[in-house]
Amino acid sequence: MPESLLQILTFCLLLLVWLFLLRVIWAVWSDARTPAVVTAPPRAAQAPAAAPAATGQPTGPARLKVVEPAARKGQVYDVSDELKIGRAATCQVALAADSYVSQLHARIFRRDGSLFIEDMGSTNGTFLNRKKLTGPVALRRGDRVQVGQTVLEVTK
Amino acid sequence: MTRASRRDTELGLLLIVAIVTAGAYVLAGLGKTASLPANIGPFLGMILGLLGVAHVALRRFAPHADSVLLPMAGLLNGIGYVFIARLNRDLAGLQATWTLLGIVAFIATVVVVRQARDLDRYRYTFALLGVGLLMMPLLPGVGRTIHGARLWVRLGPVNFQPGELAKIALAVFFAAYLVEKRELLSDFGRGRLLPQPRALAPLLLAWGFSLLVMTAEKDLGSSLLFFALFIGMLWVATDRGAYLALGSVLFAMGSLFAYKSFAHVQERVRIWHDPWKYASNEGYQLVQGLYAMGSGGLAGAGIGLGSPQKIPAAATDFIFAAIGEELGLMGTVALVTAFLVIVGVGLRIALRADQPFEKLLATGLTLILGVQTFIIIGGVTQLVPLTGITLPFVSYGGSSLVANYVLLAMLLRISNDSVERKLRAGGAAAPAGAVDG
Repeated sequence: MPESLLQILTFCLLLLVWLFLLRVIWAVWSDARTPAVVTAPPRAAQAPAAAPAATGQPTGPARLKVVEPAARKGQVYDVSDELKIGRAATCQVALAADSYVSQLHARIFRRDGSLFIEDMGSTNGTFLNRKKLTGPVALRRGDRVQVGQTVLEVTK
Repeated sequence: MTRASRRDTELGLLLIVAIVTAGAYVLAGLGKTASLPANIGPFLGMILGLLGVAHVALRRFAPHADSVLLPMAGLLNGIGYVFIARLNRDLAGLQATWTLLGIVAFIATVVVVRQARDLDRYRYTFALLGVGLLMMPLLPGVGRTIHGARLWVRLGPVNFQPGELAKIALAVFFAAYLVEKRELLSDFGRGRLLPQPRALAPLLLAWGFSLLVMTAEKDLGSSLLFFALFIGMLWVATDRGAYLALGSVLFAMGSLFAYKSFAHVQERVRIWHDPWKYASNEGYQLVQGLYAMGSGGLAGAGIGLGSPQKIPAAATDFIFAAIGEELGLMGTVALVTAFLVIVGVGLRIALRADQPFEKLLATGLTLILGVQTFIIIGGVTQLVPLTGITLPFVSYGGSSLVANYVLLAMLLRISNDSVERKLRAGGAAAPAGAVDG
């Protein structure tokens, strides 16, 4: 068999290898774009509920509900003036078993009738609706707060 | 991503892998002997069989695991095998056996390790196992010195490198240990830029241990890999750049020490600096490898049409150069891309894992693959001084192949578990991005 033909065949094989790699990269990419298992709460569905809350922030006693982990789902915490979240036993929301959480991780407090959350210099950060907190932020109904592996939702 | 679609993607990719490997095998036969290889039927059957069994095991025991890792490993292994067979028929038979053992080890890992966090419980067993395996070649009687490095063990008729399995055991131990101690290790005290003295102990211990491995076994590759693994995992666990800086300083000191005290290290650096000066003696191997890659050009000489057998150790350390000669730049860039994708997917598995232990373990396992690939490809292409180590999945080497398949199975296990837990939690709930931070 002439060498040139073999070289052409080798070239075809290389093209096939590259097509394979493109297929792989496509698979990786489409998998990254649609983290289908972990769907964030559908924003559109929440919008009607959130709209009134946007104008009138919780004025009465606010409440936080555990969404994650599944084992403690539905557990609630009432916020009066201040609520500390962390691994320390002195925190109202004590997450002793979660190694992602710092001793005093975050606090929720009330100022001028509005509810705020603030990260207390935790190692792994506090997340409000998937965004890392950098300073105190006002909370609204439907907001999701994540500390370590625990997700809390502001319910009223 | 549903159970079916990930595994279906994998099946499709595996079929392409079988076609590519069989095609390369046929071309190698045509190029070398101008005839179709007689055993192409059984050969194709064997690839399909091996990949198929691994695929079925994943479908049964880890249905949600990542879809591209197994096909990528299969492709690297297949192309590696074709080149080994083309270079040395005896090694090819052995490599086929090792591949079979590798797949068996892969399936065994997927079946036995039902949850990655089970490994956490046996952390000290793994620590002992890792240190024991790493030190095993030093035992009189079983240890053997090959090409100046004492990293082989002979048990019965088989020679193997226990260090290959040791790195996995140590990654498991580091992950378990660092998850437990990371608050302590990342707490520098107010306003301090460096860790407190007691937090330095593990770092210095790892450093001392890698120097010991280097001096006692004369093996630069394992020593470097081991230290890089520890520093990388320590940095990821604590999120403290200071450890990375300290690690680099210690690495520089260790390198200097090695350079001053070992003639073979000085020789490697000299060759790296100017291989052409030593082209006919010490630098022969590197120069032959560079010639081989250079003559390959863009698309290579064609499989079986070059003369990569001129490179010493072409089937093991220098297989990258052999592939460069016959598949050219397009072939070597494909290899590098494949490794990049594997590392990227491995890190993504780490990002998506919701348990700290699994996160760190996935990071460590990915680091092992990435660092090892960098060391050997960098060495062969004269980017860094040459250190003999296998190119994962591609080079000839039984212990390496088996160990890398075990490593792959563990990554897939972690990938499967984090998806499964999220599914069980009801599919809604936690924003995925948040844990990633």
